[in-house]
Amino acid sequence: MSASPAPAAPARRLAVALLPALFGLLLQVATLPARAEDVLRLFNWNNYVSQDTLDRFEVQCRCRVLQDYYSDNEEMLAKLAAGASGYDIIVPTGNAVETLIRQGALRPLDRARLPHFSNLNAAFLDSFFDPGNRYSVPYAYTITLLGYNADRLDALGLPHDSWAVLFEPRYLEKLRGRVTVLDSPRELMAAALLYLGYRVNDADEAHWRAARDLIIRAKPYWASFSNSSYIKELTVGNIWLAHGYSNDMFVAAQDAAKAGRPFKVAFSTPKEGAVLALDNMVLHKSGPRPDLALAFMDFMLDGRNSAELSNLIGSGNPNAAAMPFIRPEIAGNRAVFPDAASVKRLEMLRDLDRQRRRVLNRMWVEIKLR
Amino acid sequence: MPKRSAERTTRWLVSGPPTLFMLLFFLAPSLIMVLASFRYPGTFGGLAPMFGAGRPGEDTGLTLENYRFFLSDFIYVEIFIKSFAVALLSTLICLLMAYPLALLIARSPKGRRDLMVLLVILPFASNFLIRVYALMILLGPQQALATSLNGALALFGLGRVNLLFSSFAVVVGMVYVHLPFMVLPLYTNLEKHDPALLDAAQDLGANGWQRFWRVTFPLSLPGIFSGSALVFIPVLGMFAIPDLLGGTRDILIGNLIKDQFLGTRDWPFGSMLSIMLTVVVLGFAAIAARLSRRDGAREEA
Repeated sequence: MSASPAPAAPARRLAVALLPALFGLLLQVATLPARAEDVLRLFNWNNYVSQDTLDRFEVQCRCRVLQDYYSDNEEMLAKLAAGASGYDIIVPTGNAVETLIRQGALRPLDRARLPHFSNLNAAFLDSFFDPGNRYSVPYAYTITLLGYNADRLDALGLPHDSWAVLFEPRYLEKLRGRVTVLDSPRELMAAALLYLGYRVNDADEAHWRAARDLIIRAKPYWASFSNSSYIKELTVGNIWLAHGYSNDMFVAAQDAAKAGRPFKVAFSTPKEGAVLALDNMVLHKSGPRPDLALAFMDFMLDGRNSAELSNLIGSGNPNAAAMPFIRPEIAGNRAVFPDAASVKRLEMLRDLDRQRRRVLNRMWVEIKLR
Repeated sequence: MPKRSAERTTRWLVSGPPTLFMLLFFLAPSLIMVLASFRYPGTFGGLAPMFGAGRPGEDTGLTLENYRFFLSDFIYVEIFIKSFAVALLSTLICLLMAYPLALLIARSPKGRRDLMVLLVILPFASNFLIRVYALMILLGPQQALATSLNGALALFGLGRVNLLFSSFAVVVGMVYVHLPFMVLPLYTNLEKHDPALLDAAQDLGANGWQRFWRVTFPLSLPGIFSGSALVFIPVLGMFAIPDLLGGTRDILIGNLIKDQFLGTRDWPFGSMLSIMLTVVVLGFAAIAARLSRRDGAREEA
């Protein structure tokens, strides 16, 4: 993990001389009977568990936790498909959980070993991808919403509680070149569908075409499609309105405040509804230590441990017992923790079949080219 | 006879590993890609099985569907044309900027040349993405470049323009990243020119302009062709620069192909697009090779 400084020339010569010896030693160690060290292997999003939490778990279980990272569900699925194995726990988003279940890649949960499961908020249980939560333990969630430069939008008298500000030329005229949207066909179409009054998983092609036309009409006013650079652009004040993920907006707001910018970055969930992405812990069949994995899951279900992630990255938390431990400015943020009424307007994206994927991609090309 | 067989063994020992490497890591993936372009996408992404039954709702076996879908729709051809236009423009600008630079280096005193070449290569020492991010900062709307330009435009009563997130930024990025690839082949070519030729031309009464166009330029054509190929082909496949610097209509063929693998999970369609691109690029390379050979032959004649 830690990069060692470049050794001075004599030291390097010594190292070169010692290298074969070291190699031989390593070989010996590798062929020795494995030391009785317990290792839990996690396949996780980058920066998606607090180091403090891990340290405490390692002390408690007297084991080591090793993590590999992915930045995309597709990437994780592709690596597993290519033969990556030995992971006890993976943390996929809902639709990827569904894929893994249908591939038969997951172990069912032994609920008797998860006494803290009852901490979970029922609103996040029994989802479409895993009815009855036979395989998955909700971990954290993000909402795809609007982040904005509060001072600019207020000065221009623009709303920030509706997708209208992202799609209506009468608002966008004042924001020309100051808006970014996600470079994701599913997410952007979902926002457009919601604004038109449809559901995010609407599969009617006529509705899709209407959403496409809405996007093409709004596009000349947007600066770019952006999946991550909007965080920085919001923070420095180049971009005033961004379509993106709640935890990224949290980072942007925090950075802007820390840097002492003369404006405030805020974010809110549009009243028409939004996409919810729920990440879940699941047991992969290739993992050799389901016992440790279940112990880790239950550890993470403890309110205090679970709260640490929300405090770290501003992610939504499906764990009701975590709420008292979450910093009040995060716990009180309606865009991170929506109230009961707005939870109902949040929906998870479901996977499309291959024909629809191709139709959507065809529309996306048109959107990008026009 | 034993000597010849020993020679042969040596030859195999030396050329065998790289040949094997190319077969394994270049030819095999290319063939896999060709095959993939005739298959169906799997339900969960990847490829549907070629033999036997797939998952419910999956087609299996081989198909021309991907090619038909591509050819039935002009929009994909449009992206190809647009990408070629951007690649061509970037190559031309690179050439116009690299030629004087390469000439300057080649005609400098010998001791200074190495340093100048080093300076041209130096940007390679830092990561490409970091350099693109630096460009993003430079072109940003609140930076001196954009504010002074917009200030000047306002003087003439013209509207504000965005430098970042535009086709302009994409071409700037492409030129910036690929310029050394044009400078180096040009320099290696120009450096080898015999100065006596120019002296002879002068003695025969040619002025500076004529000396350049009748002597230096024709001799440098092979350098121009190899430099152009080194710029044109990577620009054609580049997706990171349009992603980061481009605006809302700067999709290029590289982005489209990347989307098929990461977003849409349509590997067969992505493979088909890559093959189409490869075929077109090979066509261009063949034309370029032909041209440079013909010119080379003419020079010798």
